[in-house]
Amino acid sequence: MAEKFIENTRVVDLQPLGAANFLLTLEAPLISRAATAGQFIQVAVPRCSVLWRRPFSINDVSTENGLVEILFQILGRGTRALAEVKRGDTLNVIGPLGNGFRVESTVRRALIVAGGLGIAPFPFLLKRLGEASIPSVVLYGVGRREQLCCVDRLRERAEVYLCTLDGSAGEQGTVVDLLEKHLRENPPIPDLHLFTCGPTPMMRKVQTIAEKHQLSGQASLETVMACGFGACVGCAVPMRHPQPGVQEYYLACKDGPVFNLEEIIIHD
Amino acid sequence: MIDLSVSIGALKLQNPVLTASGTFGYAEEFEGLIDFRLLGGIVTKTVTLDPRPGNSPPRIVELPNGMLNSIGLPNLGVERFITEKMPYLRRLGTRIIVNVAGRTGEEFVECVRRLETADGIDAYELNYSCPNVKEGGLSFSSDAHVAGRVTAAVRAVTKRPLITKLTPNVTSISDIGLACQDAGADAVSAVNTLVGMAVDIRTRRAKLATVTGGYSGPAIKPIALAKVYELARRLSIPVIGIGGICSAEDIVEFLLAGATAVQMGTVNFYEPTATVRAVEDLEKFCRAQNIFAVRTLIGAMEL
Repeated sequence: MAEKFIENTRVVDLQPLGAANFLLTLEAPLISRAATAGQFIQVAVPRCSVLWRRPFSINDVSTENGLVEILFQILGRGTRALAEVKRGDTLNVIGPLGNGFRVESTVRRALIVAGGLGIAPFPFLLKRLGEASIPSVVLYGVGRREQLCCVDRLRERAEVYLCTLDGSAGEQGTVVDLLEKHLRENPPIPDLHLFTCGPTPMMRKVQTIAEKHQLSGQASLETVMACGFGACVGCAVPMRHPQPGVQEYYLACKDGPVFNLEEIIIHD
Repeated sequence: MIDLSVSIGALKLQNPVLTASGTFGYAEEFEGLIDFRLLGGIVTKTVTLDPRPGNSPPRIVELPNGMLNSIGLPNLGVERFITEKMPYLRRLGTRIIVNVAGRTGEEFVECVRRLETADGIDAYELNYSCPNVKEGGLSFSSDAHVAGRVTAAVRAVTKRPLITKLTPNVTSISDIGLACQDAGADAVSAVNTLVGMAVDIRTRRAKLATVTGGYSGPAIKPIALAKVYELARRLSIPVIGIGGICSAEDIVEFLLAGATAVQMGTVNFYEPTATVRAVEDLEKFCRAQNIFAVRTLIGAMEL
């Protein structure tokens, strides 16, 4: 099992992004050095009555400064309390957790499909793809313009196409529409690899499209988790092709959160 | 030097803090997070005769002061447990208690019989009380006669210390406990999770795929404490307290109510260092209170 740490991290910055999104920067030297793109951290939310830690994809790291960034939106009590932390506060964090994106040597071109907060793990992945000199295209869809996050950072590292449901930025429509259009205009080459993260129905459609075009790809899943490191066994993800006599579920925390698209059933 | 040791029959523990089954995996999940040698012992995730895949998701629900689970005892089966999990467990430098479940009495016996061939097991805990297994794990601990019969059958195949884990979802937990005691159990542990449920009011669906599940966490501590108190008053064998224990203060409450040792469960998910911190704090508490041996707290509640 990969090395993980419990760190008392210092809040370096909490930056509101557009509508209800926040970029939180933590000083977490051990985690930042050990992390790979696609892994996540479990944050203990202070002064609030939620029981479990909250899992967040690592948005980006700065190993030289020992920083870890996460992107989140206010969804409930835990994230509301997290949006109230102040610079200098301490947050207890476990990480890095899970298996990140695998960038195989056969990948020559990356196509990233992100919906909403599903953009979270991709700035970090783009850094790794850049280091491997793999050119990347990002298709990124949100509901409306104010929900866009980290677009400048994405543009530094990839060719970025945006869409919004209301047409307030980029094309009007869903990122699935954008993906279909992109594949029509740029017929996929065999060494193209897909990376996706976003709402479940979106990822399910991306999985279907990938199959239709015989594209290999990976999805980063989000599930509820009590622990994040394999102890609660709560984050079951059904296997597409279970071997007879073995478990029929993966654990999102330990076997994922990144899975090969063809290995999983994407399930509400 | 404070003496933190306690005894569960022939099983000596260096301190009364155990991890509860199903909340600590097979320990490897906590590698790097805590020093296992500081624990009283580890109770493994349930092992069954044959591999089990577990229940469909959603399997867990967070509640304000507790959680619901319906995991369904996924595990590799006893043979792979022995070859793949025991080598790691036996070199951790702490007591290893293997939790066992079966769909029938015969499966309990057969599972223990296979485990008898493995070294490094300090005791067994029989999981009579998982509420999430359709075949009716519950019937083993809701019928005193059945509980006694299975305990006696397992007793006949092992000399290792035998603990039976009891459900609170019964009319009289101590009737079941007495039946286990009479059948040769060395200790009982109580309580397993309480049956509970939660409904999503927007989708109008149960929040667990199995509709009902097991409720655990800090919210159940007062209920667990009352059950432990009842058991300790009626039984002569040791009682291991379980239910919402998060801190040294909680442990002292259970000891005073009559528990000889405790298991910490749900807290491991969100505070993986809670057990070792509790051991440290328990020692500090004893020092501050001039208590030289923690066992003097057992059942020492004033009435």
